[in-house]
Amino acid sequence: MLSQLDSLKTEALAAIEAAQDESALEAVRVNFLGKKGSVTALSQGMKDVPVDQKKEVGAKLNDVRTAVTDGIESKKLALQAAKDAKAVEGIDVTLPGRPGAGVGALHPLTQIRDLAIRTLRRMGFALAEGPEIETEWHCFDALNTPADHPARNEKDTFYLPDGRLLRTHTSSVQIRTMEAAKSLPVRIIAPGAAYRRDEIDATHLSVFNQLEGLYVANDVSLGDLKGTLEYFFREIFGANTAVRFRPHFFPFTEPSFEIDVKLEAKGKDARWIEIAGCGMVDPAVFTAINKARGDTLFDPDTTTGFAFGLGLDRLAMIMHGITDIRHLIDNDVRFLQQFAA
Amino acid sequence: MQTSLSWLSTHLDLSSYTVPQLSDLLTFAGVEVEGIEEKGVTTDKVVVAQIQSFVQHPDADKLSVCQVDDGSGTPRQIVCGAKNFKAGDKVPLALPGAVLTGGFTIREGKLRGVDSLGMMCSGKELGLGEDHSGLLIMSPDSPVGTPFNQLNPADVLFDLEITPNRPDLLSHLGLARELAALTGLPLKSERDHAKTATKPKRAAEDQIAIQAAEACPLYTARLIKGVKVGPSPDWLRRRLESIGLRPINSIVDITNFVLMEMGQPLHAFDLDKLNGGIGVRMAAEGEKFLALDGQTYALQTDDLVIADSQRPVAIAGVMGGEETGVTDTTVNVLLESAYFAPSGIRRTSRRLGLSSDSSYRFERGIDPQQVSGASELATKLILSIAGGTAEDVILAAGEAPTLVGEVTLDEDRARKLLGTPDMQGDEIHAILEKLGLTKKSASKQESRWLIPSYRLDLQRPVDLIEEVARVIGLDRVPSRQTAVASPVEAADRAYDFAMNLRQSLASRGFFEAQTLRLISTAQLADNPNTAEPVAVKNPLSEDHTTLRPSIVPGLIATAALNIRQGLHRLRFFELGRVFLQLPKGGSREEERLAILLSGPVSPSSWHAREPQAADIHELVGQIQNLTRTPFEVRPAKENTANFLLTSELRAGNRVLGWIAQLHPARARDIDARHPVYVAELLLSALRQGSTGPTKFEELPRFPGMTRDVAMEVPADLPHAKVATFFASQKHPLFVGAEVFDVFTDPTGTKMAKDRKSIAWTLTYRASDKTLETAEVDAAHTSILSALEKTLPAVVRR
Repeated sequence: MLSQLDSLKTEALAAIEAAQDESALEAVRVNFLGKKGSVTALSQGMKDVPVDQKKEVGAKLNDVRTAVTDGIESKKLALQAAKDAKAVEGIDVTLPGRPGAGVGALHPLTQIRDLAIRTLRRMGFALAEGPEIETEWHCFDALNTPADHPARNEKDTFYLPDGRLLRTHTSSVQIRTMEAAKSLPVRIIAPGAAYRRDEIDATHLSVFNQLEGLYVANDVSLGDLKGTLEYFFREIFGANTAVRFRPHFFPFTEPSFEIDVKLEAKGKDARWIEIAGCGMVDPAVFTAINKARGDTLFDPDTTTGFAFGLGLDRLAMIMHGITDIRHLIDNDVRFLQQFAA
Repeated sequence: MQTSLSWLSTHLDLSSYTVPQLSDLLTFAGVEVEGIEEKGVTTDKVVVAQIQSFVQHPDADKLSVCQVDDGSGTPRQIVCGAKNFKAGDKVPLALPGAVLTGGFTIREGKLRGVDSLGMMCSGKELGLGEDHSGLLIMSPDSPVGTPFNQLNPADVLFDLEITPNRPDLLSHLGLARELAALTGLPLKSERDHAKTATKPKRAAEDQIAIQAAEACPLYTARLIKGVKVGPSPDWLRRRLESIGLRPINSIVDITNFVLMEMGQPLHAFDLDKLNGGIGVRMAAEGEKFLALDGQTYALQTDDLVIADSQRPVAIAGVMGGEETGVTDTTVNVLLESAYFAPSGIRRTSRRLGLSSDSSYRFERGIDPQQVSGASELATKLILSIAGGTAEDVILAAGEAPTLVGEVTLDEDRARKLLGTPDMQGDEIHAILEKLGLTKKSASKQESRWLIPSYRLDLQRPVDLIEEVARVIGLDRVPSRQTAVASPVEAADRAYDFAMNLRQSLASRGFFEAQTLRLISTAQLADNPNTAEPVAVKNPLSEDHTTLRPSIVPGLIATAALNIRQGLHRLRFFELGRVFLQLPKGGSREEERLAILLSGPVSPSSWHAREPQAADIHELVGQIQNLTRTPFEVRPAKENTANFLLTSELRAGNRVLGWIAQLHPARARDIDARHPVYVAELLLSALRQGSTGPTKFEELPRFPGMTRDVAMEVPADLPHAKVATFFASQKHPLFVGAEVFDVFTDPTGTKMAKDRKSIAWTLTYRASDKTLETAEVDAAHTSILSALEKTLPAVVRR
């Protein structure tokens, strides 16, 4: 019996080794360990084994059964592993991915506007807005612009038949905001479209985008204006960006400045690029606001403020090296997809 | 304004400043330098040379081989292509190493085999005008060997942008005064002509009569008789040419010189062509005037004219007349110097489209105190250049208006506004004094200042603070950063909502467009919705006549542009403002989101060469994914001409927007390969559904069970009707239903053509236990029987 067991074990392990798939392996199991299997048959023969040999034969029988069971189990795992490996055979992972719905993009103007807004919000500016169809009062009179100022001309400004106009700058939102303000301080930024009667060419659009800023309180100084805008442009263009303020003239601020930042163009020396206008709110603006409000919230003797405005189209062009402003309104996908996130 | 450095240097000695330093000085005083141009010869290596002899080049007909004396003692051989010289002529010679205009470097070399050791130059080659017809022949007394620029000094031309508040800088004297203040350099005071003027004498009525004192407060005239008009001397011609003015004759050139020197426009009349005295009056309606530019202008009653007894002889301050101007035959001159009020000049100049150096200065404002001084300077120049005799007095009518006075400065307020708490009163005083202001009084707090007559911009305390800021510059002001806790505004919420929509669409493959808000009248047909647009009164072109009442026309133009580039899978959106005319006048502006889609549902790739083209259901799906607000799609009764399938999106009574298919005819117009779908949504309506924090709903603790139902209904029964039925079911176990199949058979073989088969999955659940099959069956049966009672549906059992 012992020798029978030895040869059975050899036979079973060979059969396991030879099994090519799960069903062959199952057949082997049935053959040896099934109800009618050879190992089962031998264990039924245990009752005929003499008592003095029972212990030895029993141990041997157990050994054979364990060896066969383990053999089947490990072969099963090996077969599964081979099958798993086969499942990924021949997959070329270097092929392009499935496009899904494809990649879209935010317009570069939206991106730059959002960057500007996020930066200024960190300094506690709230957003404000106003109508694009404006009264002459909000766009010019209240902003201390003389009655015969050239900007009011029909050659330069779009008018509606009813006498209103398309705002020539977002500065009219300063007026709208101060008219409606309940208290000081007023600290707002206003992104928006503005209109000028310009022929469209590589550097001009008749409708363009600006960002206006206004901070009015009782102790606002030129130092606040400088600190705020230095911070802003360094956040936008990099911490080491040089920013300079050149005295200039605007009817609604005094003193007034134009702001240049020093930027490097590809392969060229860094140069000063004009980027924004700013200044301290002219007291005449406060006087006009008070008159319209019928109170003295904006007392020109104690209230001070700064205002600034910048062209977002120009900012986008400088930032991305865009050479023709018309790209911003053509919406050619070959242009837009360059700005995908 | 074109400004000559050499001209400026006649007023103050700027030799210790380099050109970039001067440029910075002006820039930081608020005068933008828009261009700098070096004129003439800056290198010493161009010298006066004398041509001693020349012979024909052996191998070139057009070249001569010249021997020239360059002052070195050794003759120099130069090959030259010009023909306009003879032996003995003196010419500019560029020696090897000289760098000429355009960066062109002169080298020793051979021309057709003959040595040439330099180049003789034309005027153009030296950057002196346009003459390129031959060598620049110099005067015979030019010393040989002398650097050319010692005889003809180089000049630097600054192109300056003078802001409208500083008309006093529109002259060389004005700029010199400013530079003197900024540098501390002394002005050569004898050139300050305003101070040396003859006292004017009141003119008699028949000499000068001002009938429009408001428009012309002061008019002066000086008579100069027996002049001999001719070309101006070199120095005068050079001055005018250096700033781009064309010399005409000595008298006209002198008036132009004084204009650019002092900023006072003058006009010289030919006295013998005037009839009677000078009248300053408003024009008669329709009065005709032949101006110096050869054009005839029709005048109006608000145009100021200078007239003799018969006709206008000048449009005051703008342009003189053709018939009374000074010509070469003029013998007697009437020299006008006046102050005209800015607003009238501006109005006339603008209406006539006629702008001159004169009107430019009058409409910005001139110094009334310089009127006599300018007349005096011009008279002196005329006498010395054109001869003649001047009458002893300047005839004047009216008075020089007082345009500036005294201003009190609260110095504490200045420090506060500037953000310079440490700034001393002395420093403020020193700045104002060097700008020409006179201190009338000063206390600890305040100082009182007399403003010079040319500083028309200094009227209020803040104007003086600006001067201090301008002079100290922002470098002196310490930066301060303040953050203020600002409450969130409605505009903030609207912005954040819009940004989320944008990001959501971009991440789903849409490109954001930004189209112009001004569209053409023709584009209005591309609006799926009817709306009264707002038209512009003075459009610049036919393409931009109207404020857009919808963003869709812009997106269709965007689609057309990209189709022309060969793109047929189109996914665009734009978020922005539209403008609607209100029936009772006025207008409304609202923010909208427009979407356009056309072509394959995904980009083509190796997985799928041509994925299925999008249909209107994809558009609806995209919108459903954008908003948490459930909405129904309600087909509209009518379509505008360019659209089909127009439908309204509604959440209850709230209109969220519209969807439509671009009419195939219009789609063919733009060469679209696939159907084009558009949507336009109202942001405020969309946002109403998504305010406030989400309220958490307990998760179901017990499993639900589903039952499917298939039913046959009339083909034209809208899905919405069935959905409404299920949504209204109140059975406690019923959770909801979803459509999973719609089947029609256009051939009519499997089902009648006017029928369709739809299939729904219904879900049942109880919140407190696992449902028994029998309970679900009972609920399902009751809902199905209600279904058959409510809708024309036959349930397949």
